[in-house]
Amino acid sequence: MQIHYFALLRTATRRSRENRDPPPPTVGHLLRDLAAEYGPEFARWVLRDGALSNLAIILVDGRDVRGLQGLDTPLTADCEVSIFPPLAGG
Amino acid sequence: MHGWTGKILRVDLTSGTVRTEALNPATARAFIGARGLGTKIMYDEVDPTVDPLSPANKLIFAAGPLTGTFAPSMGRFDVVTKGPLTGAIAASNSGGAWGPELKYAGYDLLIVEGRAAKPVYLWIEDDAVAIRDAAHLWGKDVPETTERLNEETAADAKVACIGPAGERMALIASIMNDMQRAAGRSGVGAVMGSKNLKAVVVRGTGAVTVADREAFVGAVTRAATKIKEHPVGGTGLRLYGTNVLVNILNSVGGLPTGNFQEARFETADKVGGESLAAHQLQRPKGCFACIISCGRATKVTNPKYKGRGEGPEYETAWGFGPDCRIDDLDAVTKANYLCNEYGMDTISMGGTIACAMELFSRGLLTREDTAGLELDFGNAEAMVEAVRLTGTGEGVGVLLAEGSYRLASRFGHPELSMTVKKQEMPAYDPRAVQGIGLNYATNNRGGCHVRGYTISPEILGVPVKADKDAIDGKPELVVLFQNLTAALDSTGGCLFTTFGIGADEFAELMTTATGVPYTADRFIRAGERIWNLERLWNLKAGLSAVDDTLPPRMTGEPIPAGPSKGAVSRVPEMMPLYYAVRGWDGEGVPTRETLDVLELA
Repeated sequence: MQIHYFALLRTATRRSRENRDPPPPTVGHLLRDLAAEYGPEFARWVLRDGALSNLAIILVDGRDVRGLQGLDTPLTADCEVSIFPPLAGG
Repeated sequence: MHGWTGKILRVDLTSGTVRTEALNPATARAFIGARGLGTKIMYDEVDPTVDPLSPANKLIFAAGPLTGTFAPSMGRFDVVTKGPLTGAIAASNSGGAWGPELKYAGYDLLIVEGRAAKPVYLWIEDDAVAIRDAAHLWGKDVPETTERLNEETAADAKVACIGPAGERMALIASIMNDMQRAAGRSGVGAVMGSKNLKAVVVRGTGAVTVADREAFVGAVTRAATKIKEHPVGGTGLRLYGTNVLVNILNSVGGLPTGNFQEARFETADKVGGESLAAHQLQRPKGCFACIISCGRATKVTNPKYKGRGEGPEYETAWGFGPDCRIDDLDAVTKANYLCNEYGMDTISMGGTIACAMELFSRGLLTREDTAGLELDFGNAEAMVEAVRLTGTGEGVGVLLAEGSYRLASRFGHPELSMTVKKQEMPAYDPRAVQGIGLNYATNNRGGCHVRGYTISPEILGVPVKADKDAIDGKPELVVLFQNLTAALDSTGGCLFTTFGIGADEFAELMTTATGVPYTADRFIRAGERIWNLERLWNLKAGLSAVDDTLPPRMTGEPIPAGPSKGAVSRVPEMMPLYYAVRGWDGEGVPTRETLDVLELA
């Protein structure tokens, strides 16, 4: 499973992408694993009190998990996960 | 009056007369300022069927009641006129410090009428207004014009001017102020050129008063705190600029690529905000009283595209990047610099070159037409050269200066122009994001994202997440965003403040600044009034429901690959509901009841 990081999360992880094999079962498991590994500079943008931040953009195969099953969205080995901190533009 | 200066400056370039008029308080309350007041004056004074490049068209520079106060990120103004690109009412919004300076000189609006017999510029220093010869400036680009005018007027004067593109009345010409800021869309620079008006230079020594100083300070403090503390408005925009959107839109399969033939670009990351921050960015830059600082002061050291300036913003990076299948950020940035220097709208320029590249790839536009320029998708050098030629009015640039609709029509394929009402659509594929497509189709100035920015809920999740692929509730959402933005634009506020504050905070700022008791509902209602007046103008200008549509590709050609594969725009399904929500009849005409409610009857 490939993970893509963007914006401040590239600073927090010091990378723009990485592979996780085997993948954790859900987005929630993945984010908690990443938060433990990369620390508060990662966690502060994507989790709030253990729940998914309502402003982080987490995509699984291009689909926003806020429209799927949130932290319970399942992951498989061929998933592509994109993780963005809260961002704006226009 | 407070907030408003209460004074309008009117200059007739044909007769050379200058006069001031009092701003009607009731009109100001109803239409707020900037875009709203400018539209009201156009509606009252100018025949909508006027040739936009004739002396009978008027060019209105309009600040808002909050412009020039220290309310956060609220130093903007609009240029309102009939747009030559679209034939619709144009209100092009710009930041920098020019708008506040107009207020400090004592004016809410500057109305320019007629046409000068020879090139001139206006020099406004408080009550002293002079029409000066500009023969020595004609042909100069924006940086040189600005520097010369600061030398011959005042070093701290603020300059709004056109470049060579506006002088030649290129239909995608912008008006540039403070060197790098643009009133970009709809060809307002061509109107200025048609009047032989090279520049408007302003210096003011007055002030903007507010009705309740203590309450206004409190309102400003609360609004600023909300903007700064919001994770979206307070952090990301300063660090990465608007161009951070490249990777988001690409990841959801909504990044128009190759003139909207696809919606995902494999190497998009190379032209995104993260790459810009790592390579070209020198520092973030803000407009007057801005606490967000999304502007990008940048530098390119690559000898081929060497330069220094501002940008690119997201739309610009997309237009010269993925839409042309180009991933060279140095080239993209250079194209942005050239547009700023020649005075051209980056969105329409990028979209027009992308259209030319598709025409070229199909053999409809030939090397003979381009004088040998190889306008293949992905050819960064040719893209930059095409921008330069458009700025100088040479070769294929003469054709590109008319925008993509006229270009594609000239070669028999208007359907290859990705425009609404002849104005190029911005950087969100309406097949992948349903609400923004409805906003494009119904927008009073044609293809435009900022006047109904539903990308905020549909992609970013601000203030709440909406399903980008759904159409349920989208007409209501689009109408709300359009109305709120019309009101917000009219205050002089920046759209990006809405990543932290909303109608309640704007109502409080307006009430404490002007002394007029605005509520959130009254504020949004003013926006609805402005939107409907723009619509009435467009209907009288000859536009109709037929023009509330997207290019046929958006409804007839599904996105071929990526996360949004198979999607088409469902605008035709949403349109009747949109008209109903608006209180318009089946032909998109506001009903008598709607006009009564809005006090427009």
